[in-house]
Amino acid sequence: MKLEVLGMANDVILDIQNVTKQFPGVTALDDVSIKIKRGEIHGICGENGAGKSTLMLILKGVHPYGTYEGKILYEGEELILEAGGIRQASKKGIAIVFQELTLIPDMSVGENVFLGREPVKRTGINWNKLYSDTQAILNKYDLDIDASETVRNLGVGKMQLTEIAKALSEDAKILILDEPTSALSEDEIDRLMEILEGLKRHGVTCIYITHKLPELFRITDTVTVLRDGKVVTTESTDNLNEAQLIKYMVGREIKERFPRGQNNPGEVLLSVNGLHAVDPNQSNKEVLKGVDFNVRRGEIFGIAGLMGSGRTELVTTLFGEYGKITEGTIKLDGHEINVKNSHQAMMKGISLVPEDRKRFGLVLIQSIQKNISLANLDQFSTSFRINFNAENKACDYYSKKLSIKAPNLEMLCEKLSGGNQQKVVISKWLMSNPKILIMDDPTRGIDIGAKFEIYKLMNQLSEEGISIIMISSDLEEIIGMCDRIMVMCEGQSVGILEQDEFDREKIMAMATGLTKKNHFLAKENIL
Amino acid sequence: MSDTLSFLKKQVKENIQTYAILIALVFIWVLFTILTDGLYVGSQNFSNLFRQMTITSFLAIGMVLIIVTGNIDLSVGKVAGFVSVVAAKFQDDIWFQFLPDNPVLTTILTIIIGIAVGTLFEMVQGYLVAYLHVPSFIVTLGGSWILNGAILVVTKGQTIAANQPLFSFIAQGYLKPTLGWILAAVIIIVLFLSMIQKRRNRVKYGFEPSPLILDIIKIIFYSILIFVYVFIVNKFKGVQFPVFLLAIAVVVMSYISSNTRIGRYAYSIGGNREAARLSGVNIKKNVFIVFVMMGILCGVGGVVLASYVGYGTIAAGQGYELDAIASCILGGTSTLGGVGTIFGAIIGALIMASLTSGLQMMNVTAAWQYILKGLVLVLAVLADVYLKKKK
Repeated sequence: MKLEVLGMANDVILDIQNVTKQFPGVTALDDVSIKIKRGEIHGICGENGAGKSTLMLILKGVHPYGTYEGKILYEGEELILEAGGIRQASKKGIAIVFQELTLIPDMSVGENVFLGREPVKRTGINWNKLYSDTQAILNKYDLDIDASETVRNLGVGKMQLTEIAKALSEDAKILILDEPTSALSEDEIDRLMEILEGLKRHGVTCIYITHKLPELFRITDTVTVLRDGKVVTTESTDNLNEAQLIKYMVGREIKERFPRGQNNPGEVLLSVNGLHAVDPNQSNKEVLKGVDFNVRRGEIFGIAGLMGSGRTELVTTLFGEYGKITEGTIKLDGHEINVKNSHQAMMKGISLVPEDRKRFGLVLIQSIQKNISLANLDQFSTSFRINFNAENKACDYYSKKLSIKAPNLEMLCEKLSGGNQQKVVISKWLMSNPKILIMDDPTRGIDIGAKFEIYKLMNQLSEEGISIIMISSDLEEIIGMCDRIMVMCEGQSVGILEQDEFDREKIMAMATGLTKKNHFLAKENIL
Repeated sequence: MSDTLSFLKKQVKENIQTYAILIALVFIWVLFTILTDGLYVGSQNFSNLFRQMTITSFLAIGMVLIIVTGNIDLSVGKVAGFVSVVAAKFQDDIWFQFLPDNPVLTTILTIIIGIAVGTLFEMVQGYLVAYLHVPSFIVTLGGSWILNGAILVVTKGQTIAANQPLFSFIAQGYLKPTLGWILAAVIIIVLFLSMIQKRRNRVKYGFEPSPLILDIIKIIFYSILIFVYVFIVNKFKGVQFPVFLLAIAVVVMSYISSNTRIGRYAYSIGGNREAARLSGVNIKKNVFIVFVMMGILCGVGGVVLASYVGYGTIAAGQGYELDAIASCILGGTSTLGGVGTIFGAIIGALIMASLTSGLQMMNVTAAWQYILKGLVLVLAVLADVYLKKKK
């Protein structure tokens, strides 16, 4: 009764009023006020550290009522989430889908959806009810998923959808999505967008947190920009454009998002011919089925392709850490090379900034200095002694060169922001003096300011004569930064595009296996 | 001065775990001193306390790096036990037949053989773990059963004497009081010189050295500790020879763990194996080396064990692996790998020994000794978990 009256009186379902949250030494949220209207898709964007996750953790009850100042009204009543009760928010109808998947891979979809609140009968879990209820939820939102399927067997996209189904299963009124597309392919993103629009028709309010501007424009009704814990603006999406948004987010105008200018690459440094390789653990599984390309000195060479196209497998094979080469040659400076592990690759001058910095790039519980020097201890140690001063000096040089923001080099990497973590990984590999620096999705999950700094660094390195091979899922980035792009599909190189041939659709068509470069061009010519 | 204070504060904050465990140790000492009317810190008990902890400590300081790399070694007790019966066998039987009346040579040979046996056995285990990817838990569990059998084979179920005077000196000998003082003086001079050298090097590389006053306070603090220790043990019989050996091992292992690539790589492997591998760290080789070091320490521990008890028996080394692991954990080594210090493990071992010694002095029965030790271990880790959460 009361709800209805309030609902009629104002259309606001969630009213965040002057919320301030302080951590020792940091103000994470500073007098933040946001009104979320019923039934809208409300985008929240901002650089990493802008306060997005803190806000979300308050709504989840991880930072309980009383640990922040200000007030949050939900359905007209003050939202009080007490310490220790992580389910309270979902019981009230606030569902949150976190950036990192929280599903248990060896359980079924149904078990995951009802994890922690399984329906029971006298003899234990009521499996029939569990699966039929799950299937009902999946069907309600048109999710093409079988409730009894094991999560491990779903693709990343469906896992994400399962996560959403799990959130919705408790009759959510507000669905909060944190960077839901970071692991999805373009197809899967399309699917997600459709589902969100469907939810909107069902009357579900949605808060959509993301870095990715195109998605904001595509799906949201209203956008709130956070910067340094403050609300910069809340505006209707129709009144915004990309340049404005970026300006709001970084607080300064970035004239060019991609600072790549003209360049003059030198002679061929690396050439790969007819490369075939198999999975080292399954010798009948061919992961590379014919890859040909060459990279010139000082060039930024892009590799585009969908997840599973073999792009990561290709670079880890070049780095000696993955595939077993069955056919083909790799030549560096005209000499054939055959590296067996990362150490040998480094000796030859090949470095790899791996994907997923937390898993493959960093020892999070160690200091910045120890991480930077890990691959390069030979430079300042004998068998019996590490020269700490030389190590400190060298790390200090790179930390300044890449402007890593930290009080000192003793700081643990787990305490750094994503952008700074990535800079630590890059520092590590620059210290090994590479001729070729391979970067696998180097800007994934880092904020625009840090991205720009990494782009500038890439330019600077290529001017110094280092060749860069860059993998990226972000088509705009790869088009904006690379001198040439190789597109991969199902373990093969399907074509190499010169700068004047760069085109989003063309790349997508090649990456999805619809067409090879020449077919596409031929078709275009006819038209 | 405020600079110095803030530096101190930072030090305390960063090493809160180390300080907490030191406070726990002091607390235990004070408690037992009161409960035993001061007998507990009497020079005889104090001297014995440190002597008692040596064998477990040799194993614990090797175990730290094993756990740091994400492995475990359940065989160390039996390796040390096997080494001790082999040593006893040579002392009592074999040398008697082939090299009679040559105590210096035979003692040296026994030590070499003991260390070689421990090292060889751990090399095999290390190879299985590092190169053939068998989980260390399984390899070393199997290893300890095999050695249990091997001990029975060597001893034929009987006790072998290892109480020859020179051999006994290894674990039961004392340095003469004057020698103890000279040793203390030498250590302090070395500490002082290395401080000066360190400061010079910092300046050479263009860094600001840490506040001089702090360095001096540190040296004075260590000097007092060393002097007090030597003073107390000299009142009894002098610096205990096995403690002297342990001190050397501790310094060497601490140095390896923090100042060499082997140590650095061990912590990186435990912290993030994949990142270490992609950074060109040879994981197999480094895990293997850590096991080899463990083997050397098991060898030393086994020889000291034989000398300490004076004979080799079928129960030699029984349960020592768990004492060693508990010492590491008490000293802050993380069971998840990547974190742990040699110093912490030694303090952990000292806490365990202090508890045992105090409880024995109070005539607490063996049953209650076990119960109390178990409680202390679990409560200590509980406190640690709680502290970390609060942080």
